[in-house]
Amino acid sequence: MHTWVAINLPKYSYLPGELHAWSTFPITLTDIKLLDGLTNAKAAEYLIRDGPNALTPPPTTPEWIKFCRQLFGGFSVLLWTGAILCFLAYAIQAATEDDPAGDNLYLGIVLTAVVVITGCFSYFQEAKSSKIMESFKNMVPQQALVIREGEKVQINAEEVVGGDLVEVKGGDRIPADIRVVSAHGCKVDNSSLTGESEPQSRSPDCTHDNPLETRNLAFFSTNCVEGTARGIVICTGDRTVMGRIATLTSGLETGKTPIAKEIEHFIHIITGVAVFLGLTFFILAIILGYSWLEAVIFLIGIIVANVPEGLLATVTVCLTLTAKRMAKKNCLVKNLEAVETLGSTSTICSDKTGTLTQNRMTVAHMWFDNQIHEADTTEDQSGASFDKSSVTWLSLARVAALCNRAQFKAGQDQLPILKRDVAGDASESALLKCIELSCGAVRAMRDKNKKVAEIPFNSTNKYQVSHRLYYRCDLNDNRYLLVMKGAPERILDRCSTILIQGKEQPMDEELKESFQNAYMELGGLGERVLGFCHVMMPEDQYPKGFAFDTDDVNFQTDNLCFVGLMSMIDPPRAAVPDAVGKCRSAGIKVIMVTGDHPITAKAIAKGVGIISEGNETVEDIAARLNIPVSQVNPRDAKACVIHGTDLKDLSQDQMDDILRNHTEIVFARTSPQQKLIIVEGCQRLGAIVAVTGDGVNDSPALKKADIGVAMGISGSDVSKQAADMILLDDNFASIVTGVEEGRLIFDNLKKSIAYTLTSNIPEITPFLLFIIVNIPLPLGTITILCIDLGTDMVPAISLAYEAAESDIMKRQPRNPFRDKLVNERLISIAYGQIGMIQALGGFFAYFVILAENGFLPTQLVGIRLNWDDRSVNDLEDSYGQQWTYEQRKIVEFTCHTAFFVSIVVVQWADVIVCKTRRNSVFQQGMRNKILIFGLFEETALAAFLSYCPGMDVALRMYPLKPSWWFCAFPYSFLIFVYDEVRKLLIRRNPGGWVERETYY
Amino acid sequence: MASTEDKPATKENTSSWKDSFYNPRTGEVMGRTASSWALILLFYLVFYCFLAGMFALTMWVLLISLDDYVPKYQDRVPHPGLVIRPNSLDMSFNKSDPLKYVQYVKHLESFLQRYNDSQQDNNEDCPRGEYFLQDDTEDMNKKACLFKRGFLSLCSGLSDTNFGYSEGKPCVLLKMNRIIGLKPRGDPYINCTVKKEGPIQMQYFPSEGRIDKMYFPYYGKKAHENYVQPLVAVKLLLTKDDYNKELPVECRVEGTDLRNNDERDKFLGRVTFRIKVVE
Repeated sequence: MHTWVAINLPKYSYLPGELHAWSTFPITLTDIKLLDGLTNAKAAEYLIRDGPNALTPPPTTPEWIKFCRQLFGGFSVLLWTGAILCFLAYAIQAATEDDPAGDNLYLGIVLTAVVVITGCFSYFQEAKSSKIMESFKNMVPQQALVIREGEKVQINAEEVVGGDLVEVKGGDRIPADIRVVSAHGCKVDNSSLTGESEPQSRSPDCTHDNPLETRNLAFFSTNCVEGTARGIVICTGDRTVMGRIATLTSGLETGKTPIAKEIEHFIHIITGVAVFLGLTFFILAIILGYSWLEAVIFLIGIIVANVPEGLLATVTVCLTLTAKRMAKKNCLVKNLEAVETLGSTSTICSDKTGTLTQNRMTVAHMWFDNQIHEADTTEDQSGASFDKSSVTWLSLARVAALCNRAQFKAGQDQLPILKRDVAGDASESALLKCIELSCGAVRAMRDKNKKVAEIPFNSTNKYQVSHRLYYRCDLNDNRYLLVMKGAPERILDRCSTILIQGKEQPMDEELKESFQNAYMELGGLGERVLGFCHVMMPEDQYPKGFAFDTDDVNFQTDNLCFVGLMSMIDPPRAAVPDAVGKCRSAGIKVIMVTGDHPITAKAIAKGVGIISEGNETVEDIAARLNIPVSQVNPRDAKACVIHGTDLKDLSQDQMDDILRNHTEIVFARTSPQQKLIIVEGCQRLGAIVAVTGDGVNDSPALKKADIGVAMGISGSDVSKQAADMILLDDNFASIVTGVEEGRLIFDNLKKSIAYTLTSNIPEITPFLLFIIVNIPLPLGTITILCIDLGTDMVPAISLAYEAAESDIMKRQPRNPFRDKLVNERLISIAYGQIGMIQALGGFFAYFVILAENGFLPTQLVGIRLNWDDRSVNDLEDSYGQQWTYEQRKIVEFTCHTAFFVSIVVVQWADVIVCKTRRNSVFQQGMRNKILIFGLFEETALAAFLSYCPGMDVALRMYPLKPSWWFCAFPYSFLIFVYDEVRKLLIRRNPGGWVERETYY
Repeated sequence: MASTEDKPATKENTSSWKDSFYNPRTGEVMGRTASSWALILLFYLVFYCFLAGMFALTMWVLLISLDDYVPKYQDRVPHPGLVIRPNSLDMSFNKSDPLKYVQYVKHLESFLQRYNDSQQDNNEDCPRGEYFLQDDTEDMNKKACLFKRGFLSLCSGLSDTNFGYSEGKPCVLLKMNRIIGLKPRGDPYINCTVKKEGPIQMQYFPSEGRIDKMYFPYYGKKAHENYVQPLVAVKLLLTKDDYNKELPVECRVEGTDLRNNDERDKFLGRVTFRIKVVE
């Protein structure tokens, strides 16, 4: 028996050209008639051989590896080293001393806890944002109708195997790549694969060499919009076209995000400083005659002081906050770091359909009464309208309404017309909505004019004409009305008269030329133009009850009366031109990459400002000057439209040349691979590229891009999977919000880091002086941790809420090679200037406390040896009093507390000066409520740590006398004044020395 | 193709790496020209000089706010510590080997130099059993009460220059830390105990280990230049049974309101030391 098993599908290795072979494989009609489908046994066998018909999910990093990365990445290595050294020091002490001090063990445990807690924190933050994807997972299993052993069975789409005979109907998702063997009016929407939104018809004929273009192949996960088709499964799962794109996507290596690079750069600097200082002082300590143990303890102290323990958590929190803010503005961020990437973006490669446009055909122009009229294409009908009083318009509306199979789906009467769902193809829906909007009640019009006969639009019908006949029910008029629509030139051929101002006039050459001009003009706008005509059939020839035969046309189809043209386009979204303009002023190049026709693409590009007014392409210049394209100097044209087929022939250099020399570029008719090439080309030129897209075909480019932006409504699962960010409202304008937020967070992270790093100096210097001049330790490791992980946290985070200083959308995107997150100027300010003032403030408090307790500064130098000697219990102070070890240690810890409080006091001023980088605080204002909260919070925390009973045991922090809080006030004030003066100089002398050396 | 591209890139990198130290084309050292370096260094010099000035100013304000005689706050030293001489909490020596104990003897000897009669003769012989208050005098310089070595009798090092170490009955001196203005109530005396089965005989000098009140209050280093702390000597009358054993000795200040049982500070009004005499 001859069944489809006879095709005997070989092992599926998807070689190039194979798909082509499938589309041209000879299948005869007899084969189809004999069709019984696979036997169940064969199907089971194939299922085992080829595996289930599903896409292999992209490989994911196991959770424990992600966790370990958080635990051992960044500064953690340094802190782990510190912790291990602590344990080691304790072990040595325990081995050599009878009663070892628990300090090192305690510190080791604290450090370990810090690493683990910050690691867990970052891990959970990351995990939370990556969970966003789960909400998009489609949990409903797809079903497929297959024919096996001659019977139709509904099975899970995953069980479909190669060779299966499947049946699809309108509304179904195509379960696998299939070769169509029979079809009835079948149309598929390949937009998720090719980006082309127009449904394409499917038939058993092989019409094209290109498998993606040929009519007899339908692809996995595309949708059948209408009609029915039967087909034989040729590929399943990862071997499908969709599967191969998905595999290509997951195989792409993506680089680190710009912010990740910046943070890494910054960690390198800080780690370098920490290791350098640590080792230098370790060696110095050995040379100065300290024991190994002491030197190791110094090393730990220097490491702890150098590492801003809380900073990475702060950065994570800042990014999370921005991500949340962006989610409110419809930008859902999957990968936290992508928040900033958008801000660094210098090129946006945008998809057209759905992102820049509304993704629905809309009537844009009409030509009647020898004049072009503009229809309102805005989403909210806020645009201007045309004169609707013309009789010709009423006729045109009638033709358009009657000669139209589209209709509103039931039960949507309360919805605005534009939001209603329509059954029917895109152009007819557009016409329906247009007429319903301007004339209303299409249904009533149709009820009044009953359809008698119809010749539907037929692709095999070479006339490209669809016409319908309607019986006109007017009581005093028994004539039949013939209405016809179709390609304008075909319609014109059939017309001998034309309706002008409601009057039929003979079609003369002048009017014909006028028609031609209008047609060309509308076509040039990238719009799809339809012609409309009608005729009142004479009652004598076609009396009531005349039998119209649509197969063998027995009625008049010539000498009709031309009514007008209507042209449709998928119009740009209202907010897009503004958004594109903002991108441009923000120095971001917007490139349109679409699968659509060049003319449509160009028209939309002009409409939204991607090709700005007055800019011409090479072709435009050639047309204006009336010279061949080859004679135009390509440098004269700022804009260009590049066809996918041309792109194929371009060398890498030519590609670079185009991307470099044209500011306004449109790529039309591009394939997924070409999108990838475009993205790579931009990246090669050093751009940070954002790609928007919704289709599966976009996903490789989305993945390759520095930031992939998928569409939340129209986007396919594969594209969402590949993207870093999802636009919930599919609106390009949301990207601009994203860019703004991204830039703001980059600026604010700088401020936040400057703030956090500043307190490193007052943390390190006590240790250095302790080692070099042998004074009692002014600041302990525990107190350092209290600053880094306690008081500094909220103010540092609050800087993420800081408003922009100037219009950040008016400046150029940052240059990733030059504009670093942390640069030498930031270090110079934080470490060399503000940090030093802070350190002095801390030391002053330290000297005050020691002096007021009896130890004058002059006595302190060199006192350390006796001070830290447990057996010296009668250490004499400057007044002759004698102190036991424990008594003077309490004074020392009080100094630590005071030093800590002083850092809090100088950090008040620091957080206020870090609010701005250029403006004065008086210009910026103190509107950041979180920051004000942060000021109070850190003060309250410092007071709590100092005064809470039990802190002397837990953290060795002691209550301070109120006057000691004021020691650092002059320094706090100095910081404020110093930085205000510095910023004043920056503003006064733009580009001057102060700016060059201190503007970070 | 990739490799041909990489080569010039790496070459450029190495040269730029060298350039970051010294770039002969622009004359830049570490990314700055000489004048740029000079300017930034000058800035930092001026800036730090200014900061130093500011710091000096605040320190000056601090120092002039301080009293020369009494520290501003004394709440961190409410109670005196108790320390011993020789300054070792773990004494161990062979009574028949002078080399082993000579360090202790020398230490005691040098410590007692200030208590020599030649030094103490200038000091007052104050009335016993009363605080020697001098608050009413205009003169900031206060007089000190004398404490002669002789008060320590057998442990004075005058009669027995070896402080009993050679005979296996070592002397240990105890003193209370000086605290300005401290006036202990009651009659302070030192009491030592040995945590051991049988009690050990001890001799206290002055008798009963008393610390006379006339040595209080202390008026500070500047005002009370000749002040000497009262001492209590304890002579451990060890017997043969006690040799070759490590004896933990605890001494406390008793009979006053001074703390001698602080949990954290083991030297507040008490001291614990170990002594081991080898025969």
